[in-house]
Amino acid sequence: MDFSLRLLIATLAFGLAFATGTAQAEMTKSLNINGATGLIDMPSGDAQEDATFSFSTSVIGPVTRATISFQITPRLSGAFRFQTWRDWNTLFPADNTKNDDRSFDLRYQVLSEGRYAPSLTIGLQDFTGKGLFSSEYIAATKTFSDRLKVTAGLGWGRLGSYGGLGQPFGERPPLASDDRGKPNVDQWFRGDAAPFGGIEYKINDRWTFKAEYSSDAYTLEDDTRGIIDRDSPFNFGIEYQKGPNVRYGAYSLYGTEIGLVFHLVLDPKSRATGGVMGAAPVPLNLRPARSADPDAYDGGWVTQADAGPILRENLAKRLAVDGIIIEDIAYNANTVQIRIRNNRVDAGSQAIGRTARALTYVMPASVEVFEIVPVVNGIGASKITIRRRDLEELEYAADNASLLRDKIAISDAGPVPAYAIGGEDLYPKFRWSLKPAFRISEPLKGDVGLRLNAAYDIRPGLVFSGTIYKRLAGNIDRSGNPSTSLLQPVRTDGSRYSKFGDPALERLTLAWFARPAKDFYSRVTFGYLERMHAGVSGELLWKPVDSRLALGVEVNYTKQRDTDGGLGFGEYDYDVVTGHVAAYYDFGNGFVGELDVGKYLAGDVGATVSLDRVFVNGWRVGAFATVTDATSTEFGSGGFDKGVRFSIPLNWALGEQGKRAFGTTLRPSTGDGGARVDVDDRLYDSIRDYHTDALDPEWGRVWR
Amino acid sequence: MTRLLACIAAVALMSACGNDRGEPSPLAKAVGGFAKATLSRVSGKRAVAAQPASTGQIPRAEIEKYGIPILRVIIPARAADALVTITDTKGDVVTWSTTDGTTFSLRNGVLIQTRGLGPDLMSASAPTLAQLSQNGATNQRAYFFLGAEDKSERRDYDCTLTVVGTETIEVFSRSHKTTHVKEECVRAQGKITNDFWLEGALVRKSRQWTSPGTGYIDFEKVVD
Repeated sequence: MDFSLRLLIATLAFGLAFATGTAQAEMTKSLNINGATGLIDMPSGDAQEDATFSFSTSVIGPVTRATISFQITPRLSGAFRFQTWRDWNTLFPADNTKNDDRSFDLRYQVLSEGRYAPSLTIGLQDFTGKGLFSSEYIAATKTFSDRLKVTAGLGWGRLGSYGGLGQPFGERPPLASDDRGKPNVDQWFRGDAAPFGGIEYKINDRWTFKAEYSSDAYTLEDDTRGIIDRDSPFNFGIEYQKGPNVRYGAYSLYGTEIGLVFHLVLDPKSRATGGVMGAAPVPLNLRPARSADPDAYDGGWVTQADAGPILRENLAKRLAVDGIIIEDIAYNANTVQIRIRNNRVDAGSQAIGRTARALTYVMPASVEVFEIVPVVNGIGASKITIRRRDLEELEYAADNASLLRDKIAISDAGPVPAYAIGGEDLYPKFRWSLKPAFRISEPLKGDVGLRLNAAYDIRPGLVFSGTIYKRLAGNIDRSGNPSTSLLQPVRTDGSRYSKFGDPALERLTLAWFARPAKDFYSRVTFGYLERMHAGVSGELLWKPVDSRLALGVEVNYTKQRDTDGGLGFGEYDYDVVTGHVAAYYDFGNGFVGELDVGKYLAGDVGATVSLDRVFVNGWRVGAFATVTDATSTEFGSGGFDKGVRFSIPLNWALGEQGKRAFGTTLRPSTGDGGARVDVDDRLYDSIRDYHTDALDPEWGRVWR
Repeated sequence: MTRLLACIAAVALMSACGNDRGEPSPLAKAVGGFAKATLSRVSGKRAVAAQPASTGQIPRAEIEKYGIPILRVIIPARAADALVTITDTKGDVVTWSTTDGTTFSLRNGVLIQTRGLGPDLMSASAPTLAQLSQNGATNQRAYFFLGAEDKSERRDYDCTLTVVGTETIEVFSRSHKTTHVKEECVRAQGKITNDFWLEGALVRKSRQWTSPGTGYIDFEKVVD
């Protein structure tokens, strides 16, 4: 203890010797081998730039850690970690040679670095798991002369296990077995507190040297399991930064181990391609001045019998370039309403702009008002009303996006006009595709397969569709062992579904979407809703186009399907009525919260809270937690259902037009409590893209 | 059946098939798209498009034979060099386009918009041609881009014009006697400089700042 204190002081003194007083320099806020902002194994007081999304994977002798971290706000960050210990049974020979653990971290930067003040962060590591990696810490970091960072901190739990200074807040109680998976509040900042510290020295823009004194005794790996021989508290090594997104590190750890780490650091705010890619739009087509050609403004064309089909066909051709399909078009001499299905353009505002441009070519001069109604699943999501003259005047004006936004109206889509010319033959009623598909169950675990999708539009809003999935390769659990859950195994027989249902009919449904009234949206889905449950699901949503608040109600009656991926229900004799009332709220800056209260698949009753950060370019990162009346013993090792989810739009990385995304939901452990039917096309997310809270932040793309 | 087999083969190569054309295939695009994005940034392949290896080496007669106005566009940051033609004229705004749909809109020779570059200039308020030729005159510029998260971003500059003097420049092996005007623009976070070589009421040549990601673009009016 005495030694560690001296070292800490020495480290600080070393750092201060380099101090110059002007210390606002930008050194990389690097990550440690646990995917947390920090030194090598120890955390630091730094935080990543807002919204940074990183994936880190490290190997420390027999231990592998894979971590996904997200800087939720400029000060708050969270992480989900999947950890594997190999040679786990070196001392206790048994069948399993591996042990897995999943953990969550949260950290909050109390102080950001100032001229004299260091940054200060308080963090919880593995705060709601089995406790194998649990620790709490405060860490302070100060940058000196652009090149040197010095970190000093105090840790509890694992980070207080070596060189402790005593127990300032009393003893650390052991984690009771039924508290596993719940926040270990009783343990926080209890037990031995130990100092840690270290330095980061930037050799040049690419290379960084790091050295630290670790307060983690590796009691679990060294004393308990004998898989790591911890000889020394000192770690040191080098890191190499390759471009803005990739960083490697190699270290000597604890005197006996070599550590390697790879970080992929992504900034959802900036596109990898530097901007919105894709070809330029066509220029607007201007009408002749009314004084020059008054005849052009004559509305007599509406009486021509073939005007409608000709206009519709010409429009369809122009819009096809951008993957926009016309569902309906209705017009009179002064106004046109076009209902579009946007399959490709990832920004609603850009799809609207492209549609408006096409209309300037096709619609006769007398048409002054463009009403564009984006249609999702056959129902109008909103109506954007644009005056043609405003478009014409603003095409080359400075700040034309804001100027146009002030002049347009976004309102409820309303019903399809009675005189609309439907697009029966304008879009393929039958769609199919065969695509590679991923199922990811946790970091470094997943399957690659093929998914065959087919859909038939009986009429807009009434869709018959299905998917078949065939696994090709992967390492998802396929043991096929029956669940030992105390609840109905509505989710925990996943390994049986994976093993016996390959290939499997994942979905086969008839879905009906409608607009029962202004601001109301409805969905009824009947059939094989997901791979484990089939039945009927109904949903009603209230969401005015300019409201931050939305309210919904959902009721489902489902039976549990057989594990073979077929049509039968013989294996489980289980049916249940589930349902929720839901409230959605857009907090601004992309934060969307949801609260669901109701009855879940295993018959348990409770509530789910979720918070997602939705970026206008399509990135989405969120977390959720469900607490129900199922006891933690019934739920299993996770205590209650919780997890994180993310979705990365492929066009963000690739620059191509397209709406495909890569993403998944990760849970520390899957239980049967708090489970909901996984039905496709829930209403809120499908229509939100065309409401003001999603259109406005990216409105600039209307001119793109 | 043959089609289905071909399809399965395509999927095996990690692309996709079907008639669901809304979505481009995922992984094949991933590889190709990344390469393309990188190429367009590094070598300017995108803007060069159908042009031969070195635009500057094409004989003038070759260019003039089409009898249409031609502008040469050079983007030093991505080593792009292309000849572009007019796709739209509205009053004093002329929009020039590459063959693959990158456009440059100039008002009397002053750049106000680009599309298709990625880091585009979405709109701008810029000095008029008349303002440009006044030595010592000042003007305000505002540039609008799509920045982080595709949100609109604005940059304002205070600019001062300086008539550098008469310069004879060469554009595609033809000499032009021009007046060189420098427009120096500052804001708290930095400065940019636009250069114009005016030939009467025509901008014969210019170097104009476009966006943070694209930097400067050189324009040369090759054929009027």
